[in-house]
Amino acid sequence: MIISTNWLADYVQVQTTTEQLVERLLMSGLNHESTATVGADTAVEIEVTSNRSDCLGHIGVAREAAVLFARPLHVPDPRPLEGGGRVAESIAVEIRSADVCPFYTARVIRGVRVGPSPAWLVERLATVGVESVNNVVDITNYVMLECGQPLHAFDLAKIRGGRIVVRRAAEGEPFTAINHKTYTLTGQMCVIADAAGPVALAGVMGGAESEISAATTDIVIESAQFAPLAVRAAARGLVLASGSSYRFERTPDPAAVDWASRRAAALILDSAGGTLERGVAEAGTLACAPATIDLRATRVQEVLGIDIPSERQQAILTGLGFVAVKPLADGPSRWQAPTWRRDVWREIDLVEEIARIEGYDKVPEDRPITARPVELSPREQAIRTASAVLVAAGMCEALTRSVVSVAMEVTQSPWGAAPPLVVSPALVRGADRLRRTLLPSLLEARAGNVAVGAPHAELFEVARGYIGRDSDHRPDSPIQEPLLVSLVTGGAFTAAKVRAEAVLARLGVAATYRPIDLDLFARGRSAEILLERPGQPAERIGVVGEFSAAALKAAGLDTPVSGAELRLDRLEFAVGIEKKLRRPSDFPAVERDVNLVVDDAVAWGHVAAAVSETAGDLLEQCRLVQVWKDADRLGVGKKSLVISLRLRSATGTLSSEDANRTVAAVVEACGRQVGAVLRK
Amino acid sequence: MPSSSRCGRPSACRSRPRSRKAVPTVSLDAFLAEIESLRADAVAALGVVADEASLEQARIEFLGAKSGRLKSIQKMLGGLSVAERPAAGKHFNDAKQAITAALEAAQGRLAGTAAEADAIDVTLPGDPLRLGHLHPITQTIRRVQEIMSRLGFESVDGPEVEDQWHNFEALAIGAEHPARDPLDNFYLAVARGADPLLLRSQTSTVQIRVMEQRKPPLRIVSLGRVYRPDTADATHYPMFHQVEGLLVEQGTTMAHLKSVLRLFASSFLGGDVHVRFRPSFFPFTEPSVEVDMEWGGRWIEMGGAGMVDPAVLAAVGYDPDQVSGFAFGLGVERIAARRYGVADIRDFYRNDVRFLEQF
Repeated sequence: MIISTNWLADYVQVQTTTEQLVERLLMSGLNHESTATVGADTAVEIEVTSNRSDCLGHIGVAREAAVLFARPLHVPDPRPLEGGGRVAESIAVEIRSADVCPFYTARVIRGVRVGPSPAWLVERLATVGVESVNNVVDITNYVMLECGQPLHAFDLAKIRGGRIVVRRAAEGEPFTAINHKTYTLTGQMCVIADAAGPVALAGVMGGAESEISAATTDIVIESAQFAPLAVRAAARGLVLASGSSYRFERTPDPAAVDWASRRAAALILDSAGGTLERGVAEAGTLACAPATIDLRATRVQEVLGIDIPSERQQAILTGLGFVAVKPLADGPSRWQAPTWRRDVWREIDLVEEIARIEGYDKVPEDRPITARPVELSPREQAIRTASAVLVAAGMCEALTRSVVSVAMEVTQSPWGAAPPLVVSPALVRGADRLRRTLLPSLLEARAGNVAVGAPHAELFEVARGYIGRDSDHRPDSPIQEPLLVSLVTGGAFTAAKVRAEAVLARLGVAATYRPIDLDLFARGRSAEILLERPGQPAERIGVVGEFSAAALKAAGLDTPVSGAELRLDRLEFAVGIEKKLRRPSDFPAVERDVNLVVDDAVAWGHVAAAVSETAGDLLEQCRLVQVWKDADRLGVGKKSLVISLRLRSATGTLSSEDANRTVAAVVEACGRQVGAVLRK
Repeated sequence: MPSSSRCGRPSACRSRPRSRKAVPTVSLDAFLAEIESLRADAVAALGVVADEASLEQARIEFLGAKSGRLKSIQKMLGGLSVAERPAAGKHFNDAKQAITAALEAAQGRLAGTAAEADAIDVTLPGDPLRLGHLHPITQTIRRVQEIMSRLGFESVDGPEVEDQWHNFEALAIGAEHPARDPLDNFYLAVARGADPLLLRSQTSTVQIRVMEQRKPPLRIVSLGRVYRPDTADATHYPMFHQVEGLLVEQGTTMAHLKSVLRLFASSFLGGDVHVRFRPSFFPFTEPSVEVDMEWGGRWIEMGGAGMVDPAVLAAVGYDPDQVSGFAFGLGVERIAARRYGVADIRDFYRNDVRFLEQF
């Protein structure tokens, strides 16, 4: 909203500088955008919040200034001279869609001379950035910018059938607006029609055919109420916003419907001559129900924390147009809100009015705050633990979009079989699927880095996946949002695995790995990560693998990448496990290397389990040093595992004989359980 | 043989040979002349030695245990009168210390030369440790969380796919409100029964969920991703992060809100920062304000705030006449952009490691 300071002075003499005026308006709710000199006038652009339709006109802003600077406010009371015939004989008005248009009025002036506007009018409109058209159109614009009520003037001669009908448009009905563009209307939109068709799109824009031209002599002044949502839908639907639609979307002052019509008539009689017909053609009922509100004496203090004397409270409310129905006595004071303040209808709203005029600078900023203990939630702790480990491992945290394109959601999710959920509109072009895994997004981010010559992008992300209900879920079952930590690295399978394992280890979780088939990963080169807890079925807490050629290609990568994804929501519990010291042994360790030959198909996990189970408490570390295959020396289908064992007792020095006995038992157990043979 | 401690003699006495031999008589003057000349010779010679061999040669000459010159002079002590011995002994010890110091200095000098030859180029690179980085958005959120936790606010989170009640109705955003326009939200194609679902447009949803489950007093910070269909440009992105604080306690006023925000601002920006409230409008707070903080001599808009609207308190089953509260929200991207000098917030989502590694 642009304000002309000269124009404002018609209603209030603030007797201060523009800077001070702007500053006070800013601090009472009208944000300052810019100030510019236009000729001898000053244009001040302010931002008006959506609840303050009263400040979409100069009078509303003047009222604020009058209260802020304690100056009187002068609002004109237009009483245009009526003469000639009765308006009802010139035009009839009918409302067929009262939900969109509760109230419609029309005045008629005959014999106007359409021509250039007087200089004062041209100048004021120029200050606020409105181009002069002709005296009649300019006055309708002027009055809207004065009081916030949009008006429209029709050429009476172009209203076919002498009848105005407010109705819904027919589906597909064409309408040519005064911008000379033709729009196709929908059945939801509301039009002002004559006997032949639409002459205006209700509350948005007038039609080209009935616009005021140099040949116009008789005019109809429309002043009406239109429903905000309907106007908004029509303006957005046709991408046809106007000063009128902007105001109707915010509900102008109901009392201004008649005031604006009279004001425009008076100004037109002044500037363009003519005779105002007697009476008003109207239909419907004016929607106007200002609230009556009780204000308790202590409420301002209770909300603001400062005492504002009741006389001052009353002066502020009175200045803003509130009427004291009952003064403050034993009970609360009672106030009637002005018609232009639909947004004020509760006690708390009155408190805000008093606060913003008194000024928030009066509210102190040094109240003591009591202390309260705060803990990070297990979830937050799990997130921080995982991030800290991956940062320590040299990885950068990425933030990728939660909503992805269909191309990135073609692979299976490790977390559910339901298809991806779809949002509308798309987040960015083409991206309308809620992702079920973060891995494709991280692959894409890695590809982006490769493309800009930063191929070492080791990335991780902590975010949610979104899993819709499966067909066997109940229809009211919630959408699952697993909390995931995912990573991609340029290394092979084990590079991703050791990173995931480091996160798990820091959380204090020991997991097992089992081969998995997911089309995201290369066949035979991926695993699910399982958590086994006593008394509970094994639960999948993660996946790890080398990405499939298809997944890499889809991301635009041509070098191998591996990745892992963990369910932090299933690992939160570990944060609660208390750490207890296991005192390190004071006795020396004994190192023993063992070289076992096993079938190629034997998994290391089984060998490690046999070792651990047999060596028991004496085993401090079991490390796989080397795996090698040699058909000549080991035989076809065999592999050698070189294992380094570190044995140590908690209760005494382990003798060489004891160590040898344990190693022999380990070899025996491996032979029994996985067919291992000791290689001498 | 009296002990040195009892006789109080200088330490040189102790090194006197146990068996007394006949020693030629010497005058004190001759002894002193001898010792001064030794001191001068030794210091001069040790001062110029250039290698280990000449150093060892000098050491033997002056300090040699068997036939060093110092040893010879020590033997002269016996030829002095008993009365002269204490003074002579003191001179002897002084000289011995001076020569020993000169020897050590020479040793140090030669060792230094050797180390110099072995010195490394300290400007050589190593094999650099690659350190990872938290995203600047995460770092900003953590900092806000940390400051707010010191003020007793607990971090909470909640679902990103929300229903109408939590995203709108409980926040006093009625069915007619333009904020519910399908074009201004990411609605899901599926619904829960008749209830349309959407990606949350604000983290206030979490505040509603927490208030529904707990009773006051309450201090929480809700944070996370939110979604609004803005066209991406330098200052907008359809997905962004919010941090929102909520305090509900008996007797809470706007003065408490301002005081908490001032403590936050002072901690976050450093120094004694003031905050300024400008009236504003949000459906879920009343009164509502924009919060400015002084940063670099200017008022910078940091976010929105206000007293929790009585309708919101009532919606979660609190009695607005018994408890009151305040809420505030900060746009994380905006703060992070200003803090790190990021001109285009889309850079936060490009995930270019050359960007990420700078934070």
